[in-house]
Amino acid sequence: MGRILEHHSKQLIRQAGVRTPENWIAETAEQAEDIVRRYGKSVVLKALVPVGKRGKAGAIKFANTPEEAKLQTESLLAMTVRHFPVDKVLVEEKVDISEEWYVSITIDKNRQMPVILATTEGGVEVEDLVREHPDRIVIQHIDPLMGLSGFKAKEIWSRLGLNGKHLLLASDVLSKLYAAFLKNDCYLLEINPLVLTKQGDVVAAASVMAVDDAAMYRQKELEGMVEVGSERVWRPLTDLEKRMIAVNDADYRGTARYTEMDGGDIGFMCGGGGGSLLSFDALLDLGGRPANYTETGGNPPEEKVYGLTKGILSKPGVKGLFVAHNITNNTQIDVMANGIVRALKELAIDPRSFPVVVREAGVNDAVGRDIFMDAGVEYYGEDVTICEAALIMMNKMRAAYPDLYTTN
Amino acid sequence: MAILINKDSRIVIQGITGREATMITKHTLDYGTRVLAGVTPGKKGQDVHGVPVYNTVREAVEEHQVNTSLIVVPPAFALDAVLEAVDNGIQVVVVTTENIPQLDILKMLHAARQNGVRIIGPNTVGMINPGDRIKLGSIGGDNPERCFVPGHVGVISRSGGMTAETSWMVKRAGFGVSTSVGIGGDGLIGSSIRDLLELFEQDPNTHAVVTFSEPGTMFEEQAADFLREGGFTKPLISYIAGRFTENMPEGTVFGHAGAMIAGDVGRPSVKARKLREAGAIVVDRYDDMIDVLRSVLSEKAVK
Repeated sequence: MGRILEHHSKQLIRQAGVRTPENWIAETAEQAEDIVRRYGKSVVLKALVPVGKRGKAGAIKFANTPEEAKLQTESLLAMTVRHFPVDKVLVEEKVDISEEWYVSITIDKNRQMPVILATTEGGVEVEDLVREHPDRIVIQHIDPLMGLSGFKAKEIWSRLGLNGKHLLLASDVLSKLYAAFLKNDCYLLEINPLVLTKQGDVVAAASVMAVDDAAMYRQKELEGMVEVGSERVWRPLTDLEKRMIAVNDADYRGTARYTEMDGGDIGFMCGGGGGSLLSFDALLDLGGRPANYTETGGNPPEEKVYGLTKGILSKPGVKGLFVAHNITNNTQIDVMANGIVRALKELAIDPRSFPVVVREAGVNDAVGRDIFMDAGVEYYGEDVTICEAALIMMNKMRAAYPDLYTTN
Repeated sequence: MAILINKDSRIVIQGITGREATMITKHTLDYGTRVLAGVTPGKKGQDVHGVPVYNTVREAVEEHQVNTSLIVVPPAFALDAVLEAVDNGIQVVVVTTENIPQLDILKMLHAARQNGVRIIGPNTVGMINPGDRIKLGSIGGDNPERCFVPGHVGVISRSGGMTAETSWMVKRAGFGVSTSVGIGGDGLIGSSIRDLLELFEQDPNTHAVVTFSEPGTMFEEQAADFLREGGFTKPLISYIAGRFTENMPEGTVFGHAGAMIAGDVGRPSVKARKLREAGAIVVDRYDDMIDVLRSVLSEKAVK
């Protein structure tokens, strides 16, 4: 899942025929001032960050004059919203609100269907509304093969009490939003509020969009809009993380995902999806402090393993390396071994003084074992479990750094 | 006996001429599994390690009465491949493809459900029945015996790699598996833990089930409900990896795409509690399943 910033999401729903407020991007307070001077009307200023609940975080402000816009933009640009520093501000037309509604389209994973949530009480915390006033919200699942029929869109709003022109307008907008959801392979499209203006228009005043990064191959027009890797982290990517994405993207074979932890001293390279979770739990249970969470598997080529290992070891404070995989179905252990050993040699790391423990079993593991052992790396195959390997690693860390790890 | 696949399975591999599929075909044949046909549009008349290739599933059905399909095609073709299998009356479909767009997954699962077709996956390593030497998927690679020996323990795993490791733990405990199934690491899959427990309950050859779970989804909670309702009455031993993710900021994803915690949904601690309350044996340490298996199965006085 990849987040799309608000100005891009509004561009995409505008393309689907839904009205949105006019908007501009300001990267400095002066730019915001200029924009408002030329526009000549009151504006809304929003921190352009890929996280929600900006209103609560104080990251949405209002300005009636160019001078006010300048001051407010200055304060926004000084903010960090949920770990994301604000470096752009969305300057938006302030719409005349008559009513605030709400629409979201997402995937119900349990029912395995797209689901629409709609209410005529917009600008609210929908989770609270569902809990406290379930009668005021419509939850409508959509047949993935049939799609959203026009009559179904009308049923939704009519149940919420709309009638006359408003019913027809709202239904039309909902159909267009659903089309945008499908066209852009969204995970989530939330319009809060969907505004009925005093002039009688329906306008998407605020939008949140997240798209399916597995669908990017057929979504070329979204290139550059998706915050790459944003589905996996709670803060902006670090430089090392960005470099590791490049290492992964250089070859389609195998996976390589690198997430940095705060602090820590054990370089962590495990996999696959489940084995890495188990390995991380095992180290933590034994008092270990992994410096990163690196997941690799699916038979990566040597170059990828090498690049990843170098990245792991180059994080300051890394004092050991734990490599563990579940007994693999298809990963070549000799290829893994060549990549890891090459990185160790290049960084002049001596596994006799720098703790390295490897637990690998799979295709060509006899060859892999020799490569590791020739390089002085402590290697285990299916003679030990992952938990046992983690204990061996921790014992080595305790022995090598008695001041860092007090024995217990 | 086993679940889903056995000696009567008539197997077709869709996408058989691809690089990955060719290797899987070789490993599968080497293991002793009979593959009757392969399908790759435009390659009719060729063969892959002796398996005849057809243009369409329809032709494979007509020639060989295939009823079980392994799908090994790129993400862009996965939806159409599943729809083709469903349209041609295939009953069990294993979808190995990773990174299928979710809107395509929704459609394929929906079509399968409407037609009573069972889907395993997507993004699955496959499944294996070592008693009959039948495997579907890359599971076991070129050396299935390393982890999968015949026996009476069912294995269900969200992770492909841990399907092998968990089956190896069963072997290490001194037992074997009836059927091991990797259900797939995505949040949207065709057969959940609960669905497979229902099948294992019916299988007289399965005396206990081990599950490997991860954060994210409601699969374990659904399994717990099923246990409580009496749908599964054999011993269930569960391990839930990724406890540490509960202490990370919300929305963080480690491991599989489906391993996301949102609010209370997906928390390993909640899954563990619900399973325990429903009567499952949940081990906190993965290695503990060895001892638990020994005591549970010796009580049953079976191997």
